[in-house]
Amino acid sequence: MLELRSVSYRYPGYARLVLSDVNLRIASGEIVGLVGRNESGKSTLCLVASGLAPGSVGGVLTGEVLIDSMPTRGLRPFDLAQRVGLVFQNPNTQRSGVTATVFEEVALGPVNLGLPVADSVERTRWALDTLKIEDLADRDPAKLSGGQAQLVAIASILAMRPAHLVLDEPTAQLDPEGTRLVGQALTALATTGSALLVAEHKTDLLDRLCSRVVAVDGGAIAMDGPAASVLGDPNFERLGVERPARYRIADEISAAGLTVPGAIP
Amino acid sequence: MNPSAVAEPSAPPLTDADRAYLASLAPPATSPYQRLNPLTKATLATIATLSAFVLGGYLAPLAILGILVIPGALAAGALRRLVRGAALVSLPISISVALVSIFTRAGTTVLFTVGPFDATREGVDFAVQIILRLFVTAMALGLFGLTTEPHAFVVDLERRGLSPRVAFAAAATLETIPLMVERALAIQAAQRARGLDTEGSLGARIGGVMPLVGPVILSSLTEVEERSLALEVRAFGRPGRRDLLWTVPDDGRQRLLRWGLVVAFMAILVTRVSGILTPLP
Amino acid sequence: MSSSWFRAAIAAVATIAVLVIGLALLGSFDTTANPDTGLVAGSNSFMLVLAVSLLVGFIVYAGVEFAQTRRLDSIARQFDTRTIVLMPIAIAINIVLGQTVGTALKIPLYLDSIGTILVGALAGPIPGALTGLLANLIWTFVLAGTPFGSPYAWPFAIVAAEIGLLSGVFGYYGFFRSRPNTSGPKLVGGLFVAAAILFGLVFYGVIPFYKGNFTFFGASPTDGFFTLVAYVIAVGLVVAVVALAVQLLVKRDLGVAFIVVCGAICGVVSALISAPISAFVFGGVTGSGADILVAAFQQAGSTLEQAVFQQGLLQDPIDKTIEFMVAFLLLQTLSRRFTSRFPQGERAVGVVEA
Repeated sequence: MLELRSVSYRYPGYARLVLSDVNLRIASGEIVGLVGRNESGKSTLCLVASGLAPGSVGGVLTGEVLIDSMPTRGLRPFDLAQRVGLVFQNPNTQRSGVTATVFEEVALGPVNLGLPVADSVERTRWALDTLKIEDLADRDPAKLSGGQAQLVAIASILAMRPAHLVLDEPTAQLDPEGTRLVGQALTALATTGSALLVAEHKTDLLDRLCSRVVAVDGGAIAMDGPAASVLGDPNFERLGVERPARYRIADEISAAGLTVPGAIP
Repeated sequence: MNPSAVAEPSAPPLTDADRAYLASLAPPATSPYQRLNPLTKATLATIATLSAFVLGGYLAPLAILGILVIPGALAAGALRRLVRGAALVSLPISISVALVSIFTRAGTTVLFTVGPFDATREGVDFAVQIILRLFVTAMALGLFGLTTEPHAFVVDLERRGLSPRVAFAAAATLETIPLMVERALAIQAAQRARGLDTEGSLGARIGGVMPLVGPVILSSLTEVEERSLALEVRAFGRPGRRDLLWTVPDDGRQRLLRWGLVVAFMAILVTRVSGILTPLP
Repeated sequence: MSSSWFRAAIAAVATIAVLVIGLALLGSFDTTANPDTGLVAGSNSFMLVLAVSLLVGFIVYAGVEFAQTRRLDSIARQFDTRTIVLMPIAIAINIVLGQTVGTALKIPLYLDSIGTILVGALAGPIPGALTGLLANLIWTFVLAGTPFGSPYAWPFAIVAAEIGLLSGVFGYYGFFRSRPNTSGPKLVGGLFVAAAILFGLVFYGVIPFYKGNFTFFGASPTDGFFTLVAYVIAVGLVVAVVALAVQLLVKRDLGVAFIVVCGAICGVVSALISAPISAFVFGGVTGSGADILVAAFQQAGSTLEQAVFQQGLLQDPIDKTIEFMVAFLLLQTLSRRFTSRFPQGERAVGVVEA
């Protein structure tokens, strides 16, 4: 269970609250999508949920962030690494730069946790298996395509077996092929039992994947509910986010006065 | 709940196939010399260099070359490459040393004259000794460079107690430099396309470099924030030692060799400094 | 806490021991003035011995702490993740700039310390010193065999460490801050102070190495060459101060004055430490294109040690002032959001507004 209770947050040196009074609960195994326009607080929410804000970034957090009922206040990011993971947009900056093979790159997290070699190896193999990238194991991490590199980044976090996995726009910097690969990976992740919080602009992805969608606007939670009701909500576009294609098509169809059997809603 | 407690190790022990795979991750060694532990090779290179300077003269550097450097190079099958590389590296500085010392160093026995400058025997003597020492340095360190994977060196140091974070900083530098050069070339191409003149006179060359410095440095620096966050979610900076996937083997004989070299160097240093040992020719 | 006093005491003993041994070895207790140059023989290697003894003291302190606690907390505390991530980038900046600009372009500048200065300013004296040290050691040992490797960088590791240390101290006291829109009187006052420090530095720390005797411009005929050089330095100093004044007037940024003084001080200290190294290891050569100066000074009658000092004190302050200026400009360009997250970022560059 990942829980934010009345969380407000501002960055160091800035007076403006980027998050105000956010309440959010994600139960284990849930797959939640996070939408919102740019500067709505999506990325900050991801940083707060994973403990990097204020743990690494500084700033002032009021309220509580709890992981499995344990308050994260005062804990350093390396304490939280095995409970909650965070995947960023840019596959290049997530590459450590100190490993020669994908296997070592993915194993870096478990090795940093101080695990014995046998455990690191087992977790690495499991992560590579789950994302179906075992064939990349001997490749040089610096010579992969964007999509492949992002898969390696996801595997690197997965190898630490966090109970909660946050992804901040994982396909934002990828081409359509890379997006497809990551989309498949997310589906695979959903089977592992980790809770997922996926922030995305590509709502089609979330439509397929998530059972629940949370919308952020101006640093506060605007909507929180089952995916169909949030994505289908007539006020959705006011958030500055485009709805999934099938909803837009359905709108166009009904606006033209037609009905197509089987179309939603 | 102790936040720092790691999940209990639960995996079955490694199979032989696993061990073989992990061993294959280490850089391959193609000769017996390369199979030596990196610290041994580093000690050899350092002691050779330092001794050449402490002992000075002509005999000592040549002896060091013959005893400490050439056998290793032969064992590694790299002698020709090493000599060529060392000569190339030490050539520019040797020319400078020669010019600075031969003609202008105070001396009494003039060998020949070029314009207002006298080439003295003392100057030539001094210059040759310095060049010899610099060449030995280039050879010794070059041998280390040719036979050691830098990554293996850093991994070995970490096993011996170097902090994982410092080990990271050293290892990351290896990748950062070529990346920075690539970026610099890309930025330079873009600037040239916008009309910046980078060839030609000294003024043009300096003018071509300065606008490059800023963007290259700035684009590297702005990545620091994202990179640090990405590392921290992977438990970077966690205090304590790490159980590394592969290590470089070490044995008693090499340890003996290293300590022997250090003791020998200390002895040379003490006897030379205290004057017991007179300067060698 | 008594254990850290204990460690400090042992480190102090080690420092003094190395200082005494070093000075004795290099004959520097001889305080009779050399009749030709007026220089005290002992001053030649003093800075180097001092730097080495401080380094040894530091290592001893760390060693004792490690033996007591098996950890290095007092040092590790200054190294957060951002600093560790910055260090390879800073080292790469050092090496790439030093290798290409310094050597390939053949201009008489080193330009191999900008990364060190940045780390010192943003993260502190110890990270700065370590960056400098590691940069030179990696340049030689880890990059050996690659096109960017240099087997001749490691003797100067201690100079690089000193540059990082000084940058950290300057950053701590906020000397890298931009002070825009300074009022006129303050600008003029700052210019006077800066000029006074620079003149003092030059006339008491630099010119003595070039003059037969210490009376200003009074010289015997045999000192012709040196008198000329001394004049050149004095003129150059005046030009530098005038350029500084113009900069201050145009930009109204008093920070420029601070940086120029910092660069000059660092340059002089670096020259004093690196001269004995250069003389002993390389016969006076630095590989940076200014060796012709060493030759010229030797031709005019200096010994090797004197010539290296004379060359270094011309080249190093100029090079370091330029490098400090570049670092200053870079720090202004970097967003406050970026710099304020470093351990010393806010002290060095100032606080974020808004």
